[in-house]
Amino acid sequence: MKECVKNQKNEKFNTYLQVYKMQIIRSLTYKFDVYGNIIMQSIIMLASAFFWKALYAGNDSVQGVGVSDMMVYTVVSSMISVVLTTNVERRISNSVSKGTIAIDMMRPVDIYKVFFAENLAGVTTLIFQNLLPILLIGSIFIGVPVPASKEAFLLFVLSLFMSFCINWFIAVIFGMFSFKVIEMDALIQVKKHLIRLLSGSIIPVWFFPESIKNILSFLPFVYLYQLPLDIYIGKYDSASLTKGLIMQALWVVVLYLMFRFFKKKAEDKVMIQGG
Amino acid sequence: MKNLFKELLHYIDVTLVYIKMAFLSIIEYPSAIIGWLLSNPIQFIVGFATIKFVVAEFGSINGWSYGQLAFLYGLAVISHALSMIFFIQGWFLGFYVIEGEFDRFLTRPLGVVYQFLFNQINIFGITDLIPGIIVFVYGCVKVGFSPSPANIGLIIVMLIGATLIRGGIYVILGSSAFWTRSANDFGQYTQEIFDKTTMYPLSMYPESLQFILTYIIPIGWVSFYPVSGLLGVEEIGIGSAMSVWITLLVGIVVMCVAGFVFSRGIKRYESAGS
Amino acid sequence: MENMIEIKNISKSYHVVKKGEGIKGALKGLVKKEVKVIPAVSNLNFNIKKGEIVGFIGPNGAGKSTTIKMMSGILTPSSGEILIGGKNVKTHRKEVVQNIGVVFGQRSQLNWDLRLGESFELLRHIYRIDKTSFDEMIDTMDEILGIKELQDKPVRQMSLGQRVKGDLVAAMLHSPDVLFLDEPTIGLDISSKYALRKFVKEINEKRGTTIILTTHDLGDIEQLCSRLIIINNGKLVEDGNLEEIVDDIAPYKTLVVEYYDEQIPQHEKCEIISTEGNVAKYRFFKKEITAAKLIEDLGKQKAIKDVSIEEASIDDIIRIAYEGR
Repeated sequence: MKECVKNQKNEKFNTYLQVYKMQIIRSLTYKFDVYGNIIMQSIIMLASAFFWKALYAGNDSVQGVGVSDMMVYTVVSSMISVVLTTNVERRISNSVSKGTIAIDMMRPVDIYKVFFAENLAGVTTLIFQNLLPILLIGSIFIGVPVPASKEAFLLFVLSLFMSFCINWFIAVIFGMFSFKVIEMDALIQVKKHLIRLLSGSIIPVWFFPESIKNILSFLPFVYLYQLPLDIYIGKYDSASLTKGLIMQALWVVVLYLMFRFFKKKAEDKVMIQGG
Repeated sequence: MKNLFKELLHYIDVTLVYIKMAFLSIIEYPSAIIGWLLSNPIQFIVGFATIKFVVAEFGSINGWSYGQLAFLYGLAVISHALSMIFFIQGWFLGFYVIEGEFDRFLTRPLGVVYQFLFNQINIFGITDLIPGIIVFVYGCVKVGFSPSPANIGLIIVMLIGATLIRGGIYVILGSSAFWTRSANDFGQYTQEIFDKTTMYPLSMYPESLQFILTYIIPIGWVSFYPVSGLLGVEEIGIGSAMSVWITLLVGIVVMCVAGFVFSRGIKRYESAGS
Repeated sequence: MENMIEIKNISKSYHVVKKGEGIKGALKGLVKKEVKVIPAVSNLNFNIKKGEIVGFIGPNGAGKSTTIKMMSGILTPSSGEILIGGKNVKTHRKEVVQNIGVVFGQRSQLNWDLRLGESFELLRHIYRIDKTSFDEMIDTMDEILGIKELQDKPVRQMSLGQRVKGDLVAAMLHSPDVLFLDEPTIGLDISSKYALRKFVKEINEKRGTTIILTTHDLGDIEQLCSRLIIINNGKLVEDGNLEEIVDDIAPYKTLVVEYYDEQIPQHEKCEIISTEGNVAKYRFFKKEITAAKLIEDLGKQKAIKDVSIEEASIDDIIRIAYEGR
C-alpha cells in the first residue's frame, strides 16, 4: 500500500516533469522570439544605463548611491525581470474564457502545479536564452555587475527566490479574477504598471520621498525588485536586512494563503456552474 | 479626382461604422471600462511623479527644467495615446498572421492595411490622452507657452507627425511576423523603449545613440526635436516651425516605409490551416 | 453559357520549417533552420460556368482549401492565373471580391461581441449596399433562413447552426455572383444542414448564383452538386456530374440471380464473378447491356427465382477516387 502511494506520487511528479520538459521545447522553437527578446531587452538596459549616467553627470553620489552602484543596479534589474516572467494570469483567463477550465480542473493533476512547472521551465530556458546574454552584453557595455560580497550574493539568491514566489502568487491570484471579470486585459495592465513603477524595477525606491518609501515598505511590490537589488549592491545593514527579509517572507505566506482561499472559491464556482 | 474623392468618402463612412462598433463593444464589457480608466492614468501619473522625484534629487535632467520636462512628457504621452487609438493593432500583427485573421480582410473590397488598423479602433486609448493633456497643460503654464492659434496649430501638426512615426514603427516591427510567423508581441518592449527615448531629453544619451535615433530609427522626432524647437531649450540648428514640419515629414516617410514593408509581407501571407 | 471562373494552370507551394525532435532538435533549430517546400496544388485547370453548383471534394490535405482560398483572393498562386467574371483575382482583388461571397465553416466573419445586425450593418457600408436592396435581401434571407429573429442576438451567444446562418447571410448581402462555401456543414445538426442545403438550392435557382463548396458530407454531394471536382494530392482526379463519375469509376453493375437449382446459365455480354449453390453473380458493363435485357435473356435459359442488383455506393466511388484506381 505504502509502495503504491509512493509510486503514485512519483508518477505525478513525472507528469509535472514532463510538462516542464515540453514547455522548454516549446519555448526554444521560436528562434526569432529569442533573438528579438534579447535585442529588445538589451536596448532597454543600455538606455537605462545611459539615462542614469547622464543624470549623475556632476553628482558623485545621490542618497548614498554612486554611479557605479547604479550601473550594477541597471544590469541586475534587467536580469531579475527575466526571472520574474510569467504569463500564468493569461493562461487562466484564456482557459476560463474558452470554457476549458472545468476540464482542466477535472484532470487528475493539480492544474496550478502544472502552471507552476510550466512557469519554472519557462524561466529555466530564459536563464540561458535571455539572462546570460543580457549579463554578457551588460558586462561588456556597462560593466561587470559584481555583488557587494559573497554573503550578499547568497542572500540575494534567497531573496530572489522569494521574489519569484511573490510574483507568481500575485499573477495567479490576478488570473483567478477572470472567474468574475470577463475582460482581463485592463486588469493585467494595471498590475503590470503598478509593479513597473512601485517595485523599483525602473527607478529605485531610494529616490522616492520618505513618506512614500514608508508606505511602499508595507506593500509587496518592493519585495520583487528593490530588496534583492539592495542586497546585491550591499545597501543594507543588519537591521534593514532582517526587517526586509521578514517582510518578504511574510508576503510570501500571505499571498500563498490568499491563493489557497481564491483557489477554493474558484473551484466551488466551477463546480456549481458545472463547466 | 472625383473617383478618389468618392473613395475617400467611402472610407470615412466605413470608419464611422467601425467607431460606432468600437463603442458598442465597450458597453458589452463594463468591467473593462473601469480597468482601463484606472490602468492608463495610473501609469502616466505615477510615471510623471517619478520624474518629479528624480528632478528633486538630481536638480535638473541634462539642463531641462521641471516645467520643460512636463511639456515634453505631456506631448510624448499624447502622441502615445493617439498611436494607441489608431495603430495599436500593429502590436498584434503576429497574432493576426498566426490566426489567419487576414483572410477576412482579403475577401473584402477595401484596403487591407486600412481594415487591419481600423477594424478594432481602440477607444480606450482616450484614457491615455487625458493624463497626457493634464501634464502638458501643466508644462505649458510652467514654461509660459502661449496658447496662440499659431502655437496650437504647430502642436497639432507635430502630434500628427509623432503619431505617424510611432504607428509606422509598430507596423514595421509587427510585419516581421509575416517572415517569422511568430505571434510574439513586442508591444511592451516597444513602449518601454519609446518611454525612455521620448519622455526624457534625447541629448542625455551618447552621440552614437542620438545619431541612430535621429536618422535611422527616428524616435527623436516624436518629441525631443520638435519640443526643443518649440521651447528653444537646446540648440538643434532649426527653427521652431521648421522642427515641427520636419516631424510631420518624418512621420509620413516612416508610414510609407511601413506600408511598403507590410505590402511585401502580406504577399507571403499563407493563411491558417491547410 | 459563359465561364464564371477560369482556373488556368495554377500551382501553389508552401514553405514549411522543419523542426527537430525533443530538446536537442529544438536547440538545433535555434542555429539552423531547414526549410521544406511542400506543393499544395499543382497545375490545376478547370472552368466553372455561371449558375453551376460545384462540389469541390477530396481527402484531408488534398488542397481543397488552398484552391478555394486562391479563388477568393486570400492566397496568391505561385504560378498560373485565376479569372473570376473575366477579371484576374491577383491584380483586381477589390473588384473581384465585390462580386464574391465567402463562408468558412470553421471561422466566422461576424463580430463576436455584438448583435448580429451590427455585423450586417458594417457589411452594408463596406460593400456600399443601398438601404432598399439591403432590406430586400434581408427579407429574402428571412424567408429562406429565418434570419430576422436572430438579428438582435449577440453572436457569441449563438449556436453553431445560428452562426453559420448569420455567416451565409453576411456573405450574400452584396448579392455576389459567386459564393464560396468551405466545409459549411461541418459540425451542423440535421436541421441546420437541411436549412443550409435549402439555402444553396434556392439562391442558385432564384438568383443564378454560382456556388462552389467543399465538403466531406455525402448528403451535400448527392443533393446539391450538379458537378463534382475531385482533387487529390493537389491534382485534379475527376471532373463531371455525379453519374458521369460513377460511370467512369464503376462502369459496371453486378446482377445477383437465384435459380431453382445449381445449373447456372451463361451470357456472352457478362462474366460470372462467383457462384454459390444456386446463386450466381454476373458483372456487366452498363454501356453494353441493361439489367432488364440481361434478366430477360437469362430467364429464357433457366427459370429465375429472385434477382437483385448491386451497385458501387457513392461512398465507395468517392473512396476509390481518393485512393486512386
